[in-house]
Amino acid sequence: MQPVSRRVALSVGLAAMALSIPVSASAQTPKDSVVVCQTLEPPILDPTGGAAAAIREVTYDNIFETLLAFNGEGRIEPRLAEKIDSSADGLTHTITLRAGVTFHDGTPLTADDVKFSFERAMAPDSKNSQKWIFAPIAGIEARDARTVVITLKSAVGDFVDGLAWADATIFSAKSADKAGTEPVGTGPYQFVRWNRGDRLLLKRNDNYWGKKPAIANATFRFISDPQAQVAALTAGDCDAHTNLSAPEAVPQLRANPNLRVTIGRTEGETIVAMNNGKAPFNNPKVREAISMAIDRAQVNEGAISGFGTLIGTHFSPNHPAYVDLTGAVKYDPAAARKLLAEAGFPNGFSATLRLPPPAYAQRGGEIVAAMLGQIGIKVSIEPVQWAQWLERVYRQRDYDLTIVAHVEPLDINIYARDGYYFGYASEAVKDAVARTKSAKTEAERFTAYRDAQRRITADFANVYLFMLPKITVSRAGLKGMWSNWPVPANPLGQLSWE
Amino acid sequence: MIHRALRHPSFVVGLAITLMVLLIAILAVFWTPHDPTAIRISARLRPPSATNWLGTDQFGRDVFSMLILGARNALLVGIVAVGIGLSIGVALGMVAATGEGSLLDEGIMRVCDFTFAFPAVLTAILILTFLGPGLVNAIIAIGIFNIPVFARIARGAALQVMARDYIRAARAAGRSTPGILARHVLPNITGILIVQASVQFALAILAEAGLSYLGIGTQPPNPSWGRMLNDSQTFLAQAPTLALFPGAAIALAVLGFNMLGDGLRDVLDPKSLER
Repeated sequence: MQPVSRRVALSVGLAAMALSIPVSASAQTPKDSVVVCQTLEPPILDPTGGAAAAIREVTYDNIFETLLAFNGEGRIEPRLAEKIDSSADGLTHTITLRAGVTFHDGTPLTADDVKFSFERAMAPDSKNSQKWIFAPIAGIEARDARTVVITLKSAVGDFVDGLAWADATIFSAKSADKAGTEPVGTGPYQFVRWNRGDRLLLKRNDNYWGKKPAIANATFRFISDPQAQVAALTAGDCDAHTNLSAPEAVPQLRANPNLRVTIGRTEGETIVAMNNGKAPFNNPKVREAISMAIDRAQVNEGAISGFGTLIGTHFSPNHPAYVDLTGAVKYDPAAARKLLAEAGFPNGFSATLRLPPPAYAQRGGEIVAAMLGQIGIKVSIEPVQWAQWLERVYRQRDYDLTIVAHVEPLDINIYARDGYYFGYASEAVKDAVARTKSAKTEAERFTAYRDAQRRITADFANVYLFMLPKITVSRAGLKGMWSNWPVPANPLGQLSWE
Repeated sequence: MIHRALRHPSFVVGLAITLMVLLIAILAVFWTPHDPTAIRISARLRPPSATNWLGTDQFGRDVFSMLILGARNALLVGIVAVGIGLSIGVALGMVAATGEGSLLDEGIMRVCDFTFAFPAVLTAILILTFLGPGLVNAIIAIGIFNIPVFARIARGAALQVMARDYIRAARAAGRSTPGILARHVLPNITGILIVQASVQFALAILAEAGLSYLGIGTQPPNPSWGRMLNDSQTFLAQAPTLALFPGAAIALAVLGFNMLGDGLRDVLDPKSLER
C-alpha cells in the first residue's frame, strides 16, 4: 500500500471511530418498532401447511388467529370465539364468534370462514400436521353469520383444546390459497414483506378487534448461527432473541447491562429417536442398552450448559399428568455392554446418527456418539439440513438414530400413530392414547396419559434426554416477551417499550 | 544440489516444519497422551495443565491429543487428494500434449479452463453437497479440483520437452509414444510437478480445514483442525486460548509446505535463482 493511501485509510478509520458513538445512538430503534430475532426461518407462512415450529413462531397470534389461543402460561383463552357451548354428551359444540372481526383485506369474519378453514384442514390433500384435531368431526354447520355448530362422531375430551393450536387457524376463503407467501389473517399484525433468508416485516393492524398493540412496526430477523446471534444482540441489531442457540454465552450476555436474559421452559422433549422398525433397533434389548449407555445429565451439561430439565419419558414436567421416570433407566455402561452381548452383539455394531442443524442436536450428537462408542456401538455422525431431515428421517424413515426436540405440547399421541418415523407400535399405547380422547373426566384422561408415559419408557421406545430450555434475551426496556413456550409463539401485541 | 538446498533458508525451514508435522502425524497413529474422543463433561474448557498440555475442549477432550490426530488427518487429506490430482491430472496433461491442437487436447484443456473459472473451495462445497459430508468425500472433492491444476502444468511442461531433439531421436529410433512419455518426458517434468505438488499440498490442508470449519469435511468424533477452530470460536469468551492451537497448527503446516515448495522450486530449477 502507498504511504498516502495508508494515511487516508487511517484517518477514515479514526473518523469512523470518532463518529461511532453518535452513529450507534442515532441507529437505535425508535420506540414504536421492534426487531425480534429468531433462529430458524419459516419455510412457508401457512401454519396449516407444515410442521415447522418457525411458522408458528412468526404467525401465531400475530398474523393469524385461532378460535381459542394459548397464553404465555399455557392456559387456553378465547380468541376469535367469544364462547363455546358444549352439549352434555360432548358431541355438539356451538361456537359463537366475536363480532366486528375483519381480515386484513377488509373481509368480515363469518361462520363460513370457520367451516371453510376446518374443511380445508380435513381435506385428503391437506398438509396439516395435526389432523387428529379434526379427526372426530362429523359435520360443521354455519348456522348464522356468527354461529358455528360442530358435531362429533364420538365424544373426545380434548377436542375443544385442539382449536387453540395454530393448525386450527381461521382463514378467509378469499385469501387462504396465498397463506404460504402472502398471509392474510385477523391478527393484530399484518404482513408487509418477506425478504427470504433475512427478515420478515409486519405492521400493526389498525382495524384490530382487540387491544391495540403498542408496537407499530415489527421485524422478525432469522439468524441461525449461534455466534452471530450473540453478536447481533450485543451490537443492538436485535431487540430480542426468542430462543438463543448459544447457551454458553449466557454468562457473557448477563454481564451486559443493556440486555436481560431469562431461562424458561418449552414443551420441547429432546430425544434420541431410534428407528424401532429397523434391525437392530427393533430389539428391545438393544434399545435398553442404548438407553443405559447415555448419561443424560452429561448430555444436558455438554449440549446446552445444563439449562434443560431432565426427563425420562415423552411428556412435559409442566403438565399435571407428568410422571417422573428419570430414574427408570439408570446410566450403567457396563450393564449396557452386557445387554448388548445378550442381544447378540458382543462386539457392538455400526449405526448412523443423522443430526439436524440446531446446536443442541449437533453437540448432543457428539456426546451421544462418544457414549455409545463406550459400549461398542460405532456411531458415524451425519449432519443434515432441516429439509433433508424432514424428507429422509421424518417422511421416509430412512435412519438409525437421530436427535430432535418435539416442541408441540401434549404430543405423546405420536407414539400411537401408524407410520410415524419412530416405527414404534404398541397396542397398549394406542389404547392409552385412545382413552385420553374418550375420557369423560380429567382424572380418567390423566390416568391414560400416565399409562402411555410408563408404557413407552418400559418399551425403551426412544432415549429421553431433557426438555429444551427457552433462553430469551431482550434489550433492557422491552417488556412482554414470553419467557416460556407452552406453544412456539411470539405474540408481538404484548410487547412494549418502557 | 543437496549442498545448494541446505544453504537455501526457506527450503531448510520448510523442510524442518514439514518433517515435524510428518513425525507428529506418524506419532499420532501409535500414541496420543489421552483418547482424543473420550468425553469428560466435568473437565470441560480446562486451561493448559500438566495432564492436559493444551487444556480441554467444550466436551472435556484433550486438545493436544486432538491436535496431533488432526495432523494425521490433515496429512492424509493432503497426500491422497494431491495423489488423485497428480495421477489423473498428469496423465490427462500428457495425453493432451501428445495430440497438441487435436480435438482431445482442446477438449481436455477447455474442461480444465471451465473448472478454473470456479474457486476451488466453491467447487469442493458443490461436490460435497452431492456426495454428502465426510472425510472421504472431502478428499475426493479436493482431489477433483487438483486434477486440472496438474493437467495444465503437465501439458505445458511436456510440450516443452517434446520439442527437444532427443525426443525426435527417440521417435526416429522407433520408440512408441507411451514409451517416450514414460522414459523421456515424465522424468524431465518431475521437478516442476514436485514443486506444484507441495504448493497443492498446502492448499489441500487449507481446503480440508475450510470444509471442516463449515461442517462438511471431517465429521466428529474424528478430530480436524478446521472443526476445532469452528467449535472453539463459540467458546471464545470462556476459553480464549482454545482457538489459538488449531489456528496455529493450520498456519504452521501451510507455511511449512509453502516454504518447502518455494525452496524446491529454486533448488530444482537453478534458472529461477539467476533471474
